[in-house]
Amino acid sequence: MKLTVNGIEQEIFSPPLTPLLHVLRDELDVTSPKAGCQQGGCGTCTVLIDGEPRRSCLTAVAAVDGSEITTLEGLGEPEQLSPVQAAFHERYAAQCGFCTPGMVVAATALIERKGGPVERDEVLEALGGHYCRCTGYVKIVDAVMAASRGQTGAREDEPETGEEAPVMIPGSPA
Amino acid sequence: MAKHRGRGFATIEYPTGMNQNGDPSQAWIKLKPDGRVDVFSGTVDIGQGSKTVHTQIVADALGVPYDWVTMDNTNTDSSAVCTGTFASRGTFIGGNAVRLAAERVRERIIDIASKELEIDPSDLEIENGEVIAKGAPQKKIGIPDVAGAATYNYGELISGSSTALKPFADVDDSTGQVEIEPHSAISYAACVADVVVDDETGEVVVEKLVQVYDVGRAINPTLVEGQIEGGAIMGLGLGLTENSYPYYPSPENRGGEFGAYLGPALHDLPELDNVIIENPSEDGPFGAKAIGEMANNAQPPAIATAIFDAVGVWVTEMPATPERVLEALEAKREPRRDGKRVIFDEHISVRTVSSNGGEGFLGVDA
Repeated sequence: MKLTVNGIEQEIFSPPLTPLLHVLRDELDVTSPKAGCQQGGCGTCTVLIDGEPRRSCLTAVAAVDGSEITTLEGLGEPEQLSPVQAAFHERYAAQCGFCTPGMVVAATALIERKGGPVERDEVLEALGGHYCRCTGYVKIVDAVMAASRGQTGAREDEPETGEEAPVMIPGSPA
Repeated sequence: MAKHRGRGFATIEYPTGMNQNGDPSQAWIKLKPDGRVDVFSGTVDIGQGSKTVHTQIVADALGVPYDWVTMDNTNTDSSAVCTGTFASRGTFIGGNAVRLAAERVRERIIDIASKELEIDPSDLEIENGEVIAKGAPQKKIGIPDVAGAATYNYGELISGSSTALKPFADVDDSTGQVEIEPHSAISYAACVADVVVDDETGEVVVEKLVQVYDVGRAINPTLVEGQIEGGAIMGLGLGLTENSYPYYPSPENRGGEFGAYLGPALHDLPELDNVIIENPSEDGPFGAKAIGEMANNAQPPAIATAIFDAVGVWVTEMPATPERVLEALEAKREPRRDGKRVIFDEHISVRTVSSNGGEGFLGVDA
């Protein structure tokens, strides 16, 4: 079996009925999809299979042989966040962070599908099956709506940081 | 058979941390030779944002920019001791530990700066990463230079440590009584709930929660709001759906899997109206009290009073599941004992006043 995970083609050696979640986490060491309830109930294992959000805990790897898989790792880099990741970061949409990978992946698919600003009802529909214990969902909904409107980057209420001065080590005995 | 609207409210008070000693948090702070600040604090950030808040406290207490400060609480082996992240104590007790440690570091910085500038320590202050002579701002030295001088010229590691701990109380030997301030800092909160109760199905929907929290000082208002919002949804679950043992103490119908425990999902999210009140505490860091565990306490009683307002029955056990609401409605409609209509409602009954506290009649000795 073969999978293209975040743009890299991978040969898969796990047994065919292994859940995709465990193939990603244990065989390929892609650990952003979390093993939450493992019953399809909490949503934190969500990955994109050929662009569609799917529960990787309920998906046998053989059923998606040859597919393109995108996880959180494939969306952005720490220094170059994707719009949804940036919005989550800037708007405090994560607390413990366990649900965040699934939320971000599903929200990315929603915004891609819509291709423009998403409304509150659409976020509720798309993320309704994702469980969050910490945030009360408020800032997550705000972040997804902001990301779909391109409202990321430096916000007005944040002070501008100046140019980083070169770090000197003063007072050296030399 | 109809839907009824109701509004209820509840108020709570919340003591911060465990009180009367035995609940320490420790912190240790050191300065790198380039003036950057490393903080080793025992408090664990579980997502509530204590790292951010402690960084703010240290930056303010030291007088350095926020991004000079690095929190290291990556393991509990090398970190200072902290009893734990619970009881809303992270900002109040853990925050006090880092504040006190930062104040000691500040003293050492000023001592060394005083040698470098040849100015008395009492005439120096720290502002935005620089030690400045009071009233003569042109005489100053950057904290990086102070830290460098300490490291390379004076052979000193600028550091400070502290434990935030409520001291033991004195025991009065003659009476055995203990005089203790009952609490370190009490936070207060109020919650108003608007509900719709369906008297046919027993279903309760919370439409809106107005929540007012006195947090002493909101060191980071966005994080405070995050706690209030998260607490609202937890409180909503405690009030309406979340139940591990529905027929406690019988284990019958106990949830055996994730889907059997009904925590609120996105669709249950009511309209939230949050208000933060600052009522500073003398004991807290910069006046802060607490907003952690208290954030999910006021919603269940507010929902219960709102149900009473809507349909006139008290649900006395939480969560107010449809089953319990229907039971309460049924009991109100059909008050029967042995098939007869016997009405006792402790909320409306007026108990007979006894002249001697219910001890019995006078003069009835045989």
